[in-house]
Amino acid sequence: MNKKDLSLLVLILVVGAVVAFINPRFLYVGNLSNTLNQVGMFGIFSIAEAFVIIIGGIELSVGSVIALLGVLFIDLIVNHDVNWVLALAMIIAAGLAIGAVHGTLVTKIGIQPFVVTLCGLLIYRGAARYYTEDATAGFGFGASFPMLEWLTAGRTNILGFPLPHSVIALFVIAVIAWVVLHRSVFGRYLYAVGKNEEAARYSGIRSGRVVIAAYVICGGLTAFAAILIAMYTRSISPAVHGSFYELYAIAAAVLGGCSLRGGEGSIVGVVLGTVLLQVLQNLVNLLGIPSSLNFAVMGTVILIGVLADQYLVQRRRRATTAKGVPQASGAGASVGASAE
Amino acid sequence: MSEPFLELVDISKNYPGVVALDHVDLSVSRGEVIALIGENGAGKSTLMRVLGGVVEPSGGLLRVDGVERSSLTVAEAIKAGIAFVHQELNLFDNLDVAGNVFIGREPVYGGPLRLIDRKQLHARVRPLLERLGADFGPDAPLAELSLAQHQLVEIMKALSLDARLVIMDEPTSSLTLTETDRLMRVIAALKADGVSVIFITHRLNEVVQCADRAVVLRDGHVVGSLRRDELAPAAMIRLMIGRDLKSLYVPPAAPPGASVLDIDGAVTSTYPDRAVSLSVRRGEILGLAGLVGSGRTELARAIFGVDPLQAGAIRLDGEAIRVASPRAAIDHGIYLIPEDRKGCGLLLDVSIAENISLPDLASYLRFFLVNTARETANARTQRERLKIRAPDVGTTVGSLSGGNQQKVVLAKWLSMRPKVLIFDEPTRGVDVGAKQEIYDMLRRLTDAGVAILMISSDMEEVIGVSDRIAVMHEGAISGFLDRSQFSEHNVLQLAVGHAVE
Amino acid sequence: MQRLVVAGISVAVSALLGLASAQAADKKVLAFVVNGASDFWKIAEAGVKKAQGELPNYDLQLKYPEQAAAAVQQRMMDDLVAAGAAGIMVSAVDPKNQTEHLNKVASQTLLFTTDSDAPNSKRIAYIGSSNTELGKDAGKMMLKALPNGGKCVGFVGLPGADNARERIEGVKETIKGSKIELVDVRGDEIDQTRAKRNVEDILAAMPDVSCMVGFYSYNTPRIYEVLKEAGKLGKIQIIGFDEDPITLGGVKEGSIAGTVVQQPYEWGYQGMKLMAAYIGGNKSGVPANGIIIVPGKVIDKSNVDDFMASMKAMLKK
Repeated sequence: MNKKDLSLLVLILVVGAVVAFINPRFLYVGNLSNTLNQVGMFGIFSIAEAFVIIIGGIELSVGSVIALLGVLFIDLIVNHDVNWVLALAMIIAAGLAIGAVHGTLVTKIGIQPFVVTLCGLLIYRGAARYYTEDATAGFGFGASFPMLEWLTAGRTNILGFPLPHSVIALFVIAVIAWVVLHRSVFGRYLYAVGKNEEAARYSGIRSGRVVIAAYVICGGLTAFAAILIAMYTRSISPAVHGSFYELYAIAAAVLGGCSLRGGEGSIVGVVLGTVLLQVLQNLVNLLGIPSSLNFAVMGTVILIGVLADQYLVQRRRRATTAKGVPQASGAGASVGASAE
Repeated sequence: MSEPFLELVDISKNYPGVVALDHVDLSVSRGEVIALIGENGAGKSTLMRVLGGVVEPSGGLLRVDGVERSSLTVAEAIKAGIAFVHQELNLFDNLDVAGNVFIGREPVYGGPLRLIDRKQLHARVRPLLERLGADFGPDAPLAELSLAQHQLVEIMKALSLDARLVIMDEPTSSLTLTETDRLMRVIAALKADGVSVIFITHRLNEVVQCADRAVVLRDGHVVGSLRRDELAPAAMIRLMIGRDLKSLYVPPAAPPGASVLDIDGAVTSTYPDRAVSLSVRRGEILGLAGLVGSGRTELARAIFGVDPLQAGAIRLDGEAIRVASPRAAIDHGIYLIPEDRKGCGLLLDVSIAENISLPDLASYLRFFLVNTARETANARTQRERLKIRAPDVGTTVGSLSGGNQQKVVLAKWLSMRPKVLIFDEPTRGVDVGAKQEIYDMLRRLTDAGVAILMISSDMEEVIGVSDRIAVMHEGAISGFLDRSQFSEHNVLQLAVGHAVE
Repeated sequence: MQRLVVAGISVAVSALLGLASAQAADKKVLAFVVNGASDFWKIAEAGVKKAQGELPNYDLQLKYPEQAAAAVQQRMMDDLVAAGAAGIMVSAVDPKNQTEHLNKVASQTLLFTTDSDAPNSKRIAYIGSSNTELGKDAGKMMLKALPNGGKCVGFVGLPGADNARERIEGVKETIKGSKIELVDVRGDEIDQTRAKRNVEDILAAMPDVSCMVGFYSYNTPRIYEVLKEAGKLGKIQIIGFDEDPITLGGVKEGSIAGTVVQQPYEWGYQGMKLMAAYIGGNKSGVPANGIIIVPGKVIDKSNVDDFMASMKAMLKK
């Protein structure tokens, strides 16, 4: 865990302690379990977003993809009687395909990621609404898929704590993502391309493939999150389902130390960022803060977090320059060379 | 010729450890065309920056219309009628010609709305276009004009500021022959209007063609001034060199072997009608000299697979290979140490160890994961071997000096198995001590059987390090030199497109 | 080549536009502009369809704005007016602040409001329920379900919207003086994940809550699901609004005390017919104050089967 993650953890603990002090029911098992369930769902697509942000891209269509794939998933298993295992595979495949299209448009055609995924945001939202003719897609009363429900929205009692399966899924995904990002060759490539695509290319990295792979991973994880969320709400109004979720994802990634310029960010940070956002949502309800202030509270805390981080970075930098890094000789020579 | 309106007296400029200008005198009269020549690093650009007000001299004085001052600011230079046509043009290619010429000084109407008066704007630009004989209108979008036309726009910008002196820094380096001819005519037209021109160039026949006077700089001194009737390439080259090179040369342990890398009729997109052929032999350092813009970097990029080769073939150990990407080149054992170290060579805020392992991560695998212990160990070995001065291999590369950064780039490739190493300006921005260490490393590599192609604009380096020199001129090889033929004179002759006597 | 393609496309587009306007020319357009996409309006659409069957000389359209935002809805109405719509019936997103714009529309075409009224505007008539009355119906159900009183929490999409405020007001008015207290109403911006989350959080924050009210149609199913997962069905009373299938299922099952439904089908049907009659010169259907109330209906265990059957029948048409 790096320093950035540690300070984020401290922030979470401070916020948590304050909330628990004002309303002790914050620490109530049921409440923690519910909050963790949210962390599970939001964390998965935040990790998805982090992959794209790390390579220096952005994915704005997360919310719309969650709506479209959620609608399709429910439609497949409820109205078309597709076996849920097959449906799950189909939805994940669709997510991967969406990612592949985005990645290809960004690398091969050279359209800016913001534009590609903004178009995606509009297209998938429209597609979802058209598909259901704006009606809500949902399980009827009493419709039941016991196995699927247990797997996606269920909870398992561990030492008396009802652990939501979504958070178990997040844990597994986060561990794999952590290993991939921080320990594997592919992870190195992701960071290298995000930091300096040109230098990565000169080191023999096929940067185009790396970028496409990041979007594909993002698409697949988002699809998985879409299924979990669909199974949680059990009903999807395509016009509003998942709207703004890309911003939750970007906020979590930024809180978690991702730079929108690319090349930075840690999985632990993204998960902690998600935890903070969900604790904030929880505290709005628990402390009886008017619901309308929800987003304002979130924005304020993110801003404070980022400001504090900037302050710490600058202080650290000042400390290092005071110590004096030996680089004077090189700088002098390069001035001489450029004075031709 | 009238009295000089601009005089530089005893101008010096010191950078830490480098004397860029050493007591330079120069005067400019009305309607005079002065060519400023000298090798790379002689101080030509610094001198012009002093005139343009960009650089403040460390000593000496400037006399403008008889008024003495110790330095100029950019605004004062413009007011004094000195205009700069930069090597890299400062134009907006999203505006039209007129918009560029009057950028920041647009005629306006509409009071506080400050709307641009397009009619007046165009009316003001039109006479300038006529004066220079331009073949485009004031409303031509800049993006659609050629580089030569861009230069004309820059010159118009200068004239619109009532320039008395136009300084051009290597104006013809990227122009075609016809375009160069046109520029020469523009210079003549300026002269006829009483506007003075100073131009920096490496093309000596242009000097003969249009200069009234050539001033030769070497190591920050004015080493000579040639009048119109004395202008001849041989005389100029003699003045430009005139120094003894320190001998750095260490001969190879064994005579070079068979050729490893053969380039056969390679064509790059910069010079689509020129082809390059050369071979680099096992255990030899082939120096690739030439002027900036002669197509050397483009050739290196094409061999390394960064840019596609337009035509021609690359053979490695006699077998034709296809290099479609840097990955392919690396897989063949052809590595490039690029000129733009910070942009292309390194990840600046990543550690030394991770920079070194980047191109070869596959060999650090344990299961699917990077074996960081092995990575660190290898980086430490390379640090010892190349004497990289850093507290640890976990140090971020950005905090290292230029020389140590270059060693990290080199270490990347040395931990793999190089067959061919291409260096593009291996010691640019590198301090003297590290320079020598890098040269030693080059020799050790060739003695171990590596073939090295070294692009360099540093004459001392080319002559002192190479076993053989190829010289490029305008996208083609203008000649090869063996050690017995090595001399600055010969390299320069070939670099400006003349044959060696 | 490129030019040719562009030219081809423009010809095709203009041909299509020509066809559309030709069609519009022979039939007067009556538009029903809703405030967002939901099943609720699907029922209204059935009513509109029925009216269409009886009004062959009109082209009846039901329009969904792409976002539940006043600006989007206003643009949609402007477009309709520009296209020459003969009458518009609108469920305004934000009637109070849209008054001026509604007046602009009313000055150019026949304007009815529905669902939520804009009494200060120059609309000709309002047809719909009185949300205050619906709230009162719900309040009465609460009194019946909680004879000994208790703490209640409400859940709603947009707490600031008039329909939400009036319903809440109606509830509060009815339970005033009783032992029942509506302690809080949580909003969710129509985000279902948050809607469910809000219920979970309240369950955690207030262990002594004894009844929950779902003010928007999707709120009640979310309450039902959370309580079902928590094993609190039957222990905490649920009062709902509208006729989501899960709400009706819960009523039938006995775990939801009851739900107050509006009759959008009637709004769509009667509203369209009235507009057509008004345009035709028969203004007798519109009372002096311009307010036509279609009363709500309380659905509880006793009448839920009938209601479900009739709804099924209505949607079939």
